[in-house]
Amino acid sequence: MDNEIYRLPRERLDSLIERLARDYRVVGPVKQGATWMWTDVRPGMPLALDYPTTMLPPRQFFAPMRETLFRYHRGDDGRFAFEEPAGERPFALLGVHGCDLTALRVLRAFHESSCRDRLVPGRLDRSFVMGLACWTPCLPESFCRDMGSLESESPASLYVWDIGGVLLVKVQTARGREIMRDVGALDAATPDELVALRKRLRTRPEAFPAQLQFAPEKLATSLKAAESDILWEATADRCLSCGRCNLVCPTCTCFDVGDQASLSGGDGTRTRSWTGCQVPGFSRVAGGHDFRPGRAQQLRYRIFRKGKYMPERYGMVGCTGCGRCATHCPTHISIREIFLQVGRAP
Amino acid sequence: MPQVSMIPEACRILAVTPHNSRDIHFVVEAPKQGFTPEPGQFVMVSLPGIGEAPFSLAALPGEGTAEGTFEMLIRRIGRLTNLITQLKAGDVLYVRGPYGRRVEWDQFEESNLILLAGGLGLAPLRSFVRRALGRRDRFGRIDLLVGARSPDELLFRTDLLVWASRQDDVHVHLTVDAAREGWDGRIGVITSLLDGLAVDTAGTTAFLCGPPVMYRHCLRRLLAMGLYEHNLWLTLERRMKCGLGLCGNCQVDGHYLCSEGPLVSYREVRHLRDVV
Ligand SMILES: Cc1cc2nc3c(=O)[nH]c(=O)nc-3n(C[C@H](O)[C@H](O)[C@H](O)COP(=O)(O)OP(=O)(O)OC[C@H]3O[C@@H](n4cnc5c(N)ncnc54)[C@H](O)[C@@H]3O)c2cc1C
Ligand code: SF4
Ligand code: SF4
Ligand code: FES
Repeated sequence: MDNEIYRLPRERLDSLIERLARDYRVVGPVKQGATWMWTDVRPGMPLALDYPTTMLPPRQFFAPMRETLFRYHRGDDGRFAFEEPAGERPFALLGVHGCDLTALRVLRAFHESSCRDRLVPGRLDRSFVMGLACWTPCLPESFCRDMGSLESESPASLYVWDIGGVLLVKVQTARGREIMRDVGALDAATPDELVALRKRLRTRPEAFPAQLQFAPEKLATSLKAAESDILWEATADRCLSCGRCNLVCPTCTCFDVGDQASLSGGDGTRTRSWTGCQVPGFSRVAGGHDFRPGRAQQLRYRIFRKGKYMPERYGMVGCTGCGRCATHCPTHISIREIFLQVGRAP
Repeated sequence: MPQVSMIPEACRILAVTPHNSRDIHFVVEAPKQGFTPEPGQFVMVSLPGIGEAPFSLAALPGEGTAEGTFEMLIRRIGRLTNLITQLKAGDVLYVRGPYGRRVEWDQFEESNLILLAGGLGLAPLRSFVRRALGRRDRFGRIDLLVGARSPDELLFRTDLLVWASRQDDVHVHLTVDAAREGWDGRIGVITSLLDGLAVDTAGTTAFLCGPPVMYRHCLRRLLAMGLYEHNLWLTLERRMKCGLGLCGNCQVDGHYLCSEGPLVSYREVRHLRDVV
């Protein structure tokens, strides 16, 4: 199936969206003001295949920012009864970059190693993903090539190269093939188009200069040598503990749990919502003791989790190099620079 | 792997006994299915609309309390515990669990046991004491060391009296940080109870549970006494929101203490950062 590369004329994207909409809630990057956001798309809407990443990562569709675990309501016997929400329509995500495809694999690895969440793995299984190749770094802070995620094409059913003019689509799953067939887009790419693609792929690395000068696998050992708080204090000093880096990260998974009661108190929902290790109080227990009270410890924790704990536990580095955290950090704390520093240290 | 739901089960409170103005002892109906906890495990308890939190098992079903029931000691400290501690027998708590690592007790057999309980730490350790006393002939000498801030804050006094009366089975040592007149017991920190405790270093297992400050001091003393790192067991408290290894609140260096703990041996965790 590896060599199944087909042509999708740009104007046929609408048919693709239409076809997917029969089975999925279709979302893709759409320009909204000065930014690009994951948006519900319908035929005719301008899907931004040249988008320079989104602020919120695709994980919002697999583990929503806030979601209902169950509803509760007080029955006639005075006891609460519980009800889990019915399954929702699966998602089709169009135009997912390599970094975010990698992140979906990280999410999968996390859920397979840990106890199986009731909702997230099923969403990963049922969703349809169309990957999209990048030709230039999305953000000045991107270092996807160094993290090995630029070339990531899995877990997409379809993977698209926009070579100008026509879109070239690689079919990677049976489901992807079925969709392409339904859309009537099973014309093989022409030899000229394949040559053009190969040429672009060959020159692509020039657009992504190496930022780290070491392989991501080395991170775990480099970080081990960087345990000392002192190394972290200078950078952590700038941190406002706003938690934005956690929220925008495509591989963060932590959540908080809370209840939203109706005014009468007789019914409501228990929900989970995104939180993270940089949020004050994350490591505080009853009585007020905080096991990672300082910002240096918190910053060190985030970086270690991505670069050391996650590869050790889940077999995948927890950072895809998407550059979101550094871009959206109000004080420009850059994980790329931190990796560079610890990797450079002897 | 099984998929898990976070829906709790309604469990009736069978008895309520205040130990002091803020620490309340509950006997609760156990969840119907698969509730066979080991010492050191915990439950998630909630009141819908208010919230949910982890609580230790102060007694396991059928081990000093009736089959089909378990016990907890809950300290009034915040929003949820304020409400729970006002409940009466007949009221309902919403419970899911048990959660946490199941530590096999076979490995402790033949061993002497030292249990160090600081304050509320006696709640989980009570089920350890009961487990040990329930199989008394399988263990060597048992010492229970209990520290409290003041005599008023000594918990489970009835148990302490009963245990103290079983001198041959368990040696109970008490101390308080400070006391007014009328207390003729020992005053001092819990580590002072370790002075003069004769132990056979190789054959002794210690269990620790208490406030965060307690661990470092006790560990240092126990190690100095020659106990082995793998024989020092700690129950570690962390913020826990799911109990399932998912929410990440309980992480220590990538380890999820709700499922890989809270009961851990010092050898397993001593290389981790910010553990104790
Ligand atoms: C494994 C374990 C066993 C425990 N066993 C007992 C016990 O036997 N008896 C007992 O009285 N208490 C026990 N606790 C502590 C108990 O969970 C907290 O007292 C409870 O969360 C406080 O909730 P609250 O709503 O009343 O307080 P809140 O108003 O929520 O907050 C009070 C403080 O508790 C912290 N906190 C909030 N949620 C949690 C949470 N889920 N886990 C830890 N800290 C939290 C907050 O950061 C705050 O500092 C245990 C905790 C753990 C982790
Ligand atoms: S985004 Fe920046 S300032 Fe905010 S918590 Fe993360 S590192 Fe700190
Ligand atoms: S840590 Fe930063 S750069 Fe790495 S995946 Fe998360 S948001 Fe992207
Ligand atoms: S309590 Fe949620 S992961 Fe441990």
